Amino acid sequence: MDVGLFGQYVMNGLMLGMMYALVAVGFTLFFGVLDVINFAHGDSLMVGAFTGLATYLGLRELGVVWPAVQVPVVLAAATAAMAVAGALIARYLVLPLKSAPALNTLLITLMLGTVLRESIRLFYPAGANPKPFPALLPAGAVELGNFSLRADNMLMLSAGLVVIVAVHLVINRTKLGLAIRAVAQDEETARTMGIDFTRIVLVTFAIGSALAAFAGIMNGLYYNEINFGIGLLLGVIGFSSAIIGGLGNIYGAIIGGFLFAALQTIGAVALPFASAYKDVFAFAVVILIMAIRPTGLLSEKVSERV
Amino acid sequence: MSAANNATLVVEDLYTAYDKADVLEGVSLAAEAGRITCLLGSNGSGKTTLIRSILGLTRPNRGRIAFADAEITGLPPHKIVARGIACIPEGRKVFPKLTVEENLRLGAYQEASGQVVAERIEEAYEAFPQLRERRDQLAGTMSGGEQAMVSIGRGLMSAPKLLLIDEPSLGLAPLLVKQNFDIIRRINERGITVFLVEQNVRQTLEVAHYGYVLSKGRVVAGGRADELAATQEVHEAYFG
Repeated sequence: MDVGLFGQYVMNGLMLGMMYALVAVGFTLFFGVLDVINFAHGDSLMVGAFTGLATYLGLRELGVVWPAVQVPVVLAAATAAMAVAGALIARYLVLPLKSAPALNTLLITLMLGTVLRESIRLFYPAGANPKPFPALLPAGAVELGNFSLRADNMLMLSAGLVVIVAVHLVINRTKLGLAIRAVAQDEETARTMGIDFTRIVLVTFAIGSALAAFAGIMNGLYYNEINFGIGLLLGVIGFSSAIIGGLGNIYGAIIGGFLFAALQTIGAVALPFASAYKDVFAFAVVILIMAIRPTGLLSEKVSERV
Repeated sequence: MSAANNATLVVEDLYTAYDKADVLEGVSLAAEAGRITCLLGSNGSGKTTLIRSILGLTRPNRGRIAFADAEITGLPPHKIVARGIACIPEGRKVFPKLTVEENLRLGAYQEASGQVVAERIEEAYEAFPQLRERRDQLAGTMSGGEQAMVSIGRGLMSAPKLLLIDEPSLGLAPLLVKQNFDIIRRINERGITVFLVEQNVRQTLEVAHYGYVLSKGRVVAGGRADELAATQEVHEAYFG
């Protein structure tokens, strides 16, 4: 394979890996504090992307056409909206089921995901059709032989990296992060330390859902298109990434995300029918990994979290 | 109980069901401010349920709990902690994947001033110099005795008015048990009200001022610790 094509594949893999990692971190955070799987998480990503798109269209109506304003406002609106949505999901759907079997939470979030998906399809103007997502980032590129290093891709990767480092710092260097880790390890003892458990759960869901919205905007900017169904596959991939990494382990989730993207890329490059089978290949390898290491790559014990 | 005293815990006619084996059926007792009050009882007598009720982890079905002349029944744990109650839980319950210093820091979670937290961590290190050496070690990798120090240090980090201590000698070597009781006495000498739940009758009654005996969810005896040591109920509660 020539160097240019190889470069494109690597770049594509990194972009996908970043999105998957951001989604997977949400799954792993939710599981950490509450031992639940939020199956509406992928659809939060999708609603975040649509919120971003609607914000962009609104700004355009108001005559705001400068990307330097559009990008931050679109990002802020999408992440803030999903942060609030995440906290509401935790408060009114997940926490009330705390003493019920975990399956019930799984079911209720699965149903919520369907409601979100169908609502966008039915109520967003012409929501059943794919929507063009505006190219808000600078379009320049550096030509390296026959590989073009695109400025927008580099910006997205850098922004994703900044977000992941920020999550790391919040979890490990702040009082909030300490409380999140304490709740993840031993909820009752954490509560007797004076930690407001409900507040920590809501904040954690807000953070995780905001990360999904960020990934949703990335998705739109990368493919220049979004549709009401993008959350479905991204949700499953994010969940798989969190599982491969060892559910509850943030760094495992990040590694899992990039690993899944690497598998897809390898599948696209190495298999005869090009990209058609990349997901089949990637999921098959994930199944194999889970068969060999049922608790994921970075998890020493089932009980270990965050 | 003197109404003026501001760190007295009063439990009145408390009914709580935590699990089938450990229920409270009309428990009334008081832990007087500035004193060590102990609660004796065998497994399943309701001791753990009482501690959980006081901390707000399990909601009572009936009865009331008051601390410092204010009712705290049914409040969530963080609001109860805010009143000045802290706990050294049964089995130490250190956060295994957090460092010693992070464990201590959590004990002062509601303290807003970073400087105050730093001072209290320094106090904990002065009381337990071993913890200073191991400040960055994960608490789960320490010995039982060291974890006990972390748990005690953490329980004091909020500068509580009332400290609930649940089975501190459980699982510790005899020498450490004795040290533990010395520490409890010293904590009390700093003016902290102590409510001590124990199975170790003799040493507990030596250190405590007042005591109660809990059996099958009811208080069957109570009074001054030195008098309680001689009563029939204490023996019956354990050997009866």
